[in-house]
Amino acid sequence: MALLVLTVLDRRGPLHGYAITSHIHNLSDALRVEEGSLYPSLHRMEEAGWIKARTIKTEHNRRARAYEITAVGRRKLGMEEARWRSITDAVDHVLKHA
Amino acid sequence: MSWLSRIANALRSSGVDDSLDEEITFHIESRVADLVAGGMTRDAAVTIARRQFGNRLRLREESRDVKLMPWLDSLVRDVRLGVRMLRKNGVMTTAAVLSLSLALGACVAAFSLVDALILRPLPVHQPGQLIYLTVPSGNPEAPDKDDFSDPVFVRLRDTGRGYVDLFAIRYPDRPRVTFDMASGDRETVRSQFVSGDTFDRLGVAAAAGRLLTMQDDRQPGAHPVAVLSHAFWMQRFAGDPGIVGRWFVVHDRQGDRPFEIIGVTQPDFFGAEPGHPTDVWMPYAMQDPHAFGNTGYNSLRLFGRVKDGVRLEQVQSLLQVAFTNVRREYAPGHVDPAWPPDRVERFINMPLYVRSAATGPSPLRAEFQRPLLILTAIAALVLLVAGSNVANLFLARTSAREREMSLRLSLGAGRGRLIQQVLIESALVAGAACLIGLIFAAFAAPAVVGTLTSADDPVLLDLRVDWRLLTVITGATLLMTALFGLAPAMRASSVKPMTALKVSGGRLSPRTGAARLFVAMQVAFSLIVVFVGSLLVRSFVNLSSVNPGFAASDVLLVSLEAVQRVEGDQQSAAVLQVLDRLGDLPGVAAVSAAEFNVLGRPWRNTLPVPGAARETIEATMAPVTSGYFETMKIPLVAGRTFVRRDLDAEDPTVVIVNESFAKGYFGRELAVGRLFDAGFGRARTSNEVVGVVADVRYDLHKPPAPTIYILLPVRGFQTLQVRVTAGATAIAARLREEVRVATPLLRVTSITSQESMVSGTLGRERLLALLSSLFGLVGLVLTAVGLYGTLSYAVVQRAREIGIRIALGARAIGSVRSVLTDTAVATLIGAACGLAGGLYASRFVATLLFEVAAREVWSIALPLGTLLLAASVAAAVPAWRAARVDPVITLRNE
Repeated sequence: MALLVLTVLDRRGPLHGYAITSHIHNLSDALRVEEGSLYPSLHRMEEAGWIKARTIKTEHNRRARAYEITAVGRRKLGMEEARWRSITDAVDHVLKHA
Repeated sequence: MSWLSRIANALRSSGVDDSLDEEITFHIESRVADLVAGGMTRDAAVTIARRQFGNRLRLREESRDVKLMPWLDSLVRDVRLGVRMLRKNGVMTTAAVLSLSLALGACVAAFSLVDALILRPLPVHQPGQLIYLTVPSGNPEAPDKDDFSDPVFVRLRDTGRGYVDLFAIRYPDRPRVTFDMASGDRETVRSQFVSGDTFDRLGVAAAAGRLLTMQDDRQPGAHPVAVLSHAFWMQRFAGDPGIVGRWFVVHDRQGDRPFEIIGVTQPDFFGAEPGHPTDVWMPYAMQDPHAFGNTGYNSLRLFGRVKDGVRLEQVQSLLQVAFTNVRREYAPGHVDPAWPPDRVERFINMPLYVRSAATGPSPLRAEFQRPLLILTAIAALVLLVAGSNVANLFLARTSAREREMSLRLSLGAGRGRLIQQVLIESALVAGAACLIGLIFAAFAAPAVVGTLTSADDPVLLDLRVDWRLLTVITGATLLMTALFGLAPAMRASSVKPMTALKVSGGRLSPRTGAARLFVAMQVAFSLIVVFVGSLLVRSFVNLSSVNPGFAASDVLLVSLEAVQRVEGDQQSAAVLQVLDRLGDLPGVAAVSAAEFNVLGRPWRNTLPVPGAARETIEATMAPVTSGYFETMKIPLVAGRTFVRRDLDAEDPTVVIVNESFAKGYFGRELAVGRLFDAGFGRARTSNEVVGVVADVRYDLHKPPAPTIYILLPVRGFQTLQVRVTAGATAIAARLREEVRVATPLLRVTSITSQESMVSGTLGRERLLALLSSLFGLVGLVLTAVGLYGTLSYAVVQRAREIGIRIALGARAIGSVRSVLTDTAVATLIGAACGLAGGLYASRFVATLLFEVAAREVWSIALPLGTLLLAASVAAAVPAWRAARVDPVITLRNE
């Protein structure tokens, strides 16, 4: 989940929670999760300093909290991505050669 | 987000809740808008959006825990609830807080005294390195002596060089000085002569000017400089920076000498003796010239700073050799030729002790250490009584709150939360009690110091609030919280929701033994306090009823000083003029003069008993004028008293002795008309005993001392005894003026009454008796309240059961018994333990008791009877209520 959210925020810039869900949703139906669980996860990442939040106005003039990746978050993203790749590569390898 | 903002969030958590809600609502509404845009009906869209979002409440809580510190949040909530619950039970809370704060305050006050007098190190550099020297006093009951002479100081200082840096601080003096030259007004200061390196050795810095150095201590009489204490500078001169360089005049036995103020010490430095701060320090070289080289002039305390890496035993053995040598050298001038050789050896081989001076030597401490520690222990016991009382109240209340607890448990609260809730309530009570106790202590401790003080010996203790005191207070508060919070907390956490919610009224859960344990504890602790207190009170009563042998009432003591130095004859004449003038005043029955006050510091003289080579008698010397025995109403047993004619004799050799001396010195033979050889501060002469008077107790604690009354030699300082006719004490106001009229050579410095002098000597005993009886009373009341509460609660709790029993034909007495038995057994067990504890504790007060023993019938019966009486009174009302339970009413309530 963290990997997905960080990736989306890295590529698409500041987004509010709903937009993040929509993006993940649009990109892949398979990764559909309970939408609400995004928020505790966002708040944990905010607490850890990977992302930061600020209040913005939407096009309909509503207040919303937009999240933005931080430098710490980018470093974390790089590490998470590498780890993910190594795991999937290892699994691929097993699947191919077993 | 930092932890600070999380704490802030916990303290005002509603803002976090709002923003979380807003974020979630925004999400759902956006989803609904998208779905509606996609062609769905609004209702369906809302349903789907909600379902996709998941459990909104749970997710919100999850986020909330991230943003707040969950434990702090629950803590804040529990504190709020705690305050609400405590305010709901206002009376109980007030009682708990007040009883606790009284006991806590007493403890804190006692500790601050113990700290100031016993524990706190001197405010100097590395006090642990400081030592001072003592020698045995020869009396096993008296503390060691710490007065040395100049030759001993010089020898020990030179010997110790390289191992220990010795310096001398003379015993404090209270000279009259003149700061204000224009008016010439005199005031009394506390001064000390110190060797020049004292401040260097102590590591004390100057707040203004400079302090004394060895340069100020070279030539006897040649360094008229002085240093003020910071406190005195502030109080007398309001911290005037122009003080350095000012001159003042000291009026003492060396005459009127001007001194220049060269500096002020650092703020917290008061000298080397806690309780008796010094105002003015002057160089050792400026003291009484008779002191130099005089082995008989013991007026110095010897201090030292031990060098790094030197052990105290090394210092002791080094100094001991020098001490023995110097005593051997001067022994011929000090030992009586009549002394047996082993006694002379004992004189020479006097042991020298090296003591730590980290807290400073203090006669006050020697006298009050034990009483203060006893009072602290008593206060701690009362605190335990108060604590168990509150514990019992809390326990009862927790039982009453079982339903609330059960409800919270069934709604999903953790048991930890319930324990936390109860502990927080007890911490709130303990904290409040602590604050009030602190205020109480702030008044109580100085009041106790006030009772240690007498007019001519003021005691000033620094009772500051510092980290040591705060540690004790915090510790006491935590201990109290644990003591009276833990049992109820355990009870709260062991609630079984099913049974508690099912059963209505009556006993909810079986009562644990905790309540009875607390009753037993209270009884035991308060019995110890009452036991020890009753011993101290009876001891004080015994002492007060001791007949001192003279009539202290209606006697005024008038202290005189010389206005200017004159020849002995002139001064003698002046004293006689004053005596004549005062004696003629209407309302004055008799007047006399004495060298020092009866009950003051005695002058002793050791005389060999004739016919018994090895025996000596230690006689108290009392220089008085004619009329003394009449004024003090000391009965004459044989012979005659002094008459005016004796005073006129060129070299008076007549003496009067008391019965103890007559018996000890002359045996059964008649004393009057006998001669004996002795020199009382003058050449040895033959003295004729002209009279024998009744024994007088100069110290009420001790049997009458053998006393020799001699005629008053004329010196600068005297005290007049003025016996006024009954009730005419108002004349005191006129005496000052009358003395001025009688002679220009003398003036009055102070007027007190003999009665206050006598009661002043019992200050320690009075303090102990007063405070211990007060504590005993508080302990008794608390125990009675505790018993009453426990029993009342039991009656209420078991009303239904009793009601049924009575309805079924049981007799009222049976229900009373059923309620009382448990508590009565607990009380008796507590009393037995308390009695054993009291007997044990009495060993620590034994040395302070006067004609009272712990193992007497009265010592045991009195406190035990008082306690059981208090317990019975406390039990009477609940017992009566139990007997009056009306089955109709109780059962209808169901």
